[in-house]
Amino acid sequence: MTEKPSVVATLFRFQSVFGLLAVFVAAIIFSPRKNGAILFVSADNLANVVRAVSEIGIIAVGMTFVILIGGIDLSVGAVLGLAAVGSAVLMVENDWGFLPSVLLVLVTGTIFGALQGVATAMIGIQSFIVTLAGLQIARGLARIWSGGQGVAISYGDGPKEAPTSFALLGERTFGGLVPIPVLIFAVVAIAAVVFLRVSAFSRHLYAVGGNEKAARLSGVPVVRVKIAVFAICGLLASLAGIVHAVQLNQGSPNDGIGYELDAIAAVVIGGTSLAGGRGSVAGTVAGALLLGVLNNILALNNIDSNIQLLIKGLVIVAAAALQRLRPAS
Amino acid sequence: MRQDAALVRMERIGKRYGGVQACRAVDFTLGAGEVHALLGENGAGKSTLMKILSGDVTDFDGQIEIDGTPVSFGGPTDAQAAGIAMIHQELDLVPGLSVADNIFLGRELRTPLRTVDRRRMDREARALLERSGVRIDPRRPVGDLRVGEQQLVTIAKAISLDARVLIMDEPTSALTTTEVERLFEVIRELRRAGVGIVYISHRMEEIAQVADRATVLRNGEIVTSFDPRKLSTAEVVEAMVGRPVQTMFTTPDTDTGDELLRVDDLKLTARRPRPGRRDPDGISLTVRAGEIVGLAGLLGAGRTELLETLYGVAPTGTRSGRILLQGKEIRPRSPRQALAQGIGLVPEDRRASGLVLFHSILANTVLSSLPAYGRLGVIARRLERGASVKMADRLRLKFGRLQDEVGTLSGGNQQKVVFGRMLLTEPKLLLLDEPTRGVDVGAKAEIYRLLGELAGQGLGVLLASSELPELIGVCDRVVVLRDGRDVASFSTADSGEGDLLAAAMGEAAVIGDVL
Repeated sequence: MTEKPSVVATLFRFQSVFGLLAVFVAAIIFSPRKNGAILFVSADNLANVVRAVSEIGIIAVGMTFVILIGGIDLSVGAVLGLAAVGSAVLMVENDWGFLPSVLLVLVTGTIFGALQGVATAMIGIQSFIVTLAGLQIARGLARIWSGGQGVAISYGDGPKEAPTSFALLGERTFGGLVPIPVLIFAVVAIAAVVFLRVSAFSRHLYAVGGNEKAARLSGVPVVRVKIAVFAICGLLASLAGIVHAVQLNQGSPNDGIGYELDAIAAVVIGGTSLAGGRGSVAGTVAGALLLGVLNNILALNNIDSNIQLLIKGLVIVAAAALQRLRPAS
Repeated sequence: MRQDAALVRMERIGKRYGGVQACRAVDFTLGAGEVHALLGENGAGKSTLMKILSGDVTDFDGQIEIDGTPVSFGGPTDAQAAGIAMIHQELDLVPGLSVADNIFLGRELRTPLRTVDRRRMDREARALLERSGVRIDPRRPVGDLRVGEQQLVTIAKAISLDARVLIMDEPTSALTTTEVERLFEVIRELRRAGVGIVYISHRMEEIAQVADRATVLRNGEIVTSFDPRKLSTAEVVEAMVGRPVQTMFTTPDTDTGDELLRVDDLKLTARRPRPGRRDPDGISLTVRAGEIVGLAGLLGAGRTELLETLYGVAPTGTRSGRILLQGKEIRPRSPRQALAQGIGLVPEDRRASGLVLFHSILANTVLSSLPAYGRLGVIARRLERGASVKMADRLRLKFGRLQDEVGTLSGGNQQKVVFGRMLLTEPKLLLLDEPTRGVDVGAKAEIYRLLGELAGQGLGVLLASSELPELIGVCDRVVVLRDGRDVASFSTADSGEGDLLAAAMGEAAVIGDVL
């Protein structure tokens, strides 16, 4: 009599996917129409939705890793800004090539994340505090590196111009439809899903988040897992920063302010537990898309941006509330 | 002693968890001033039945009457209001709060100004604890106490509720003999005051001592009810497991091989000493291949701390003395390193430090041996499945599917999962800390059988236990610790429980007082 029908369990398990579906359907219904065509489902608009989501999405994948081990990373938005500035300064002001610039930016983000991992895993400071400090430090570094203002990126072969190959990253579409940033997000997401599915490391990661003491006693290298996870999160945040720079054709130290909160929202809507040890990247991707569709349809209907914030807030609470209703096992 | 109108009457109670029928049409009564023992293997339905009575589980079949009036509890608060208090096997204390704060949690004593009256709480907590025969400073944080001491705090807390019905789930599993004796005095006192007590335990001799009536559950159903003073242990155990079982566990003495572990005058001075911890203060012992060596000692003698030091999880500090594994000196710095060197540990508290309860049986079983199932960090699912299925068979694990959460298993089966995880690392030396705590007779027998088998294969075992019959029956040799030192070593062939206790307590103690 108490056995829950598996349908309910499935609904809850993929709650973010069904949520996304529901929001998608609602978007179609409430979409403005033009000459009988539903604007929301037009190829251009859908491509825009995913393009707009891709940066937050990439960050949110890294955030999922951190939250799975029971941590949090508040520095991702600032690291994104640091990476955007880095890309612009290196290519425009220092006349570096495409590959060395991107590599240095990614390495910087990775090391930044790893250092935060060291502080939380080896010194034992809570990740909330470590990354709160990291946020300030990354912002400060970005200001110093950029001289305090945005660096515009123009493309060409001359001095003070970024290589045109960098512009292609933002403009060229794959198969004539999928923008490159979306492709990067997709590759990151799929790689993360596969990685969490097959790797021994992911078992360690889930175990650390599920019961750190039991994990340590089982021989899981807890410190190494934590450092690696924060490094991955830093790497993905800096990757998102490169995508950001190329989409806006500039790198500003104020880029990515508040992105950490959107990323956390996507993870939470995706059903990953803030307590750690439970959740998935697939859920996060659905959560990020859900937020993107929501933003898009509200914008299409010219809903006041303040109202948009209200609605977003309510969606986050609703998603969290749904998780509380989830059957125990 | 029993009265006509039952204090509690539970009728045709049924409860199902997924595919497992935890209780099936169980009738259970408890009179005022009665101690009713509830027996059964882990998973027999005892805990479920009591969770229903204490309001922890609210959706079930059947009905409950208190004093002849049907009641329906919406939660534990309702049950408490009806005078029902439960002492859980899993200690539900807040580690960061003091003993007194824990005892009065949610009903803090107030001063006339409505602020918390700390002095009165401390005083009353001290009185309550002394009534249960313990001396614990009520201002100490609960997290600093040993498990046994925590157990005593929960008992004191339950008593302070002035409940009419007191449910005790394995109250003695971490208590020393003296503490058990004191607890029984408290129980007798409560019984005289008309409190009805449900006493869940796996220890027959305790039930014979303290219970008026005993009921045996098996597979969610009542098998028999009897007067505990009239039935022999063998008969009861047979009723519990449904087949005759040897009640005295012995493992065959195997030929022991070369020296596996040698500990020479091991001392650890923690950089930041924690109260209640007794780090090794000069321990020497040896374990040979194929030998099961017991570690006896009172609560706080330093058994757990020794095992932790050997396993590389002791607090940082300066260490002196030597640890030799197969003649080579080792300096254990982490469990990972210890495992790599062939040392495994089954920790004392499987829920807090053994398992990720909401992860699958599979994930928990293979956690320590993942590199064996794949290449380049990629796990071959077929291999890990195969390994855990084989291990589950070997341990006679009772489970539904490998994907089930390990937390849904009974205590004994959870413990087997922790064992299985260690065995998959193919250790040479196995450190066991109270491996049969809260484990039923059947699972106990299987763990002992397994230990005998492992010793036969040349594994060395260091077994810390507070159950003397277990140490005598299972071990080849027992080393007694007191205050962080080894004070005696006995061959179990020619010494009894009295010898161990005398050594554990020191010469000054009068043995007769304890036994």
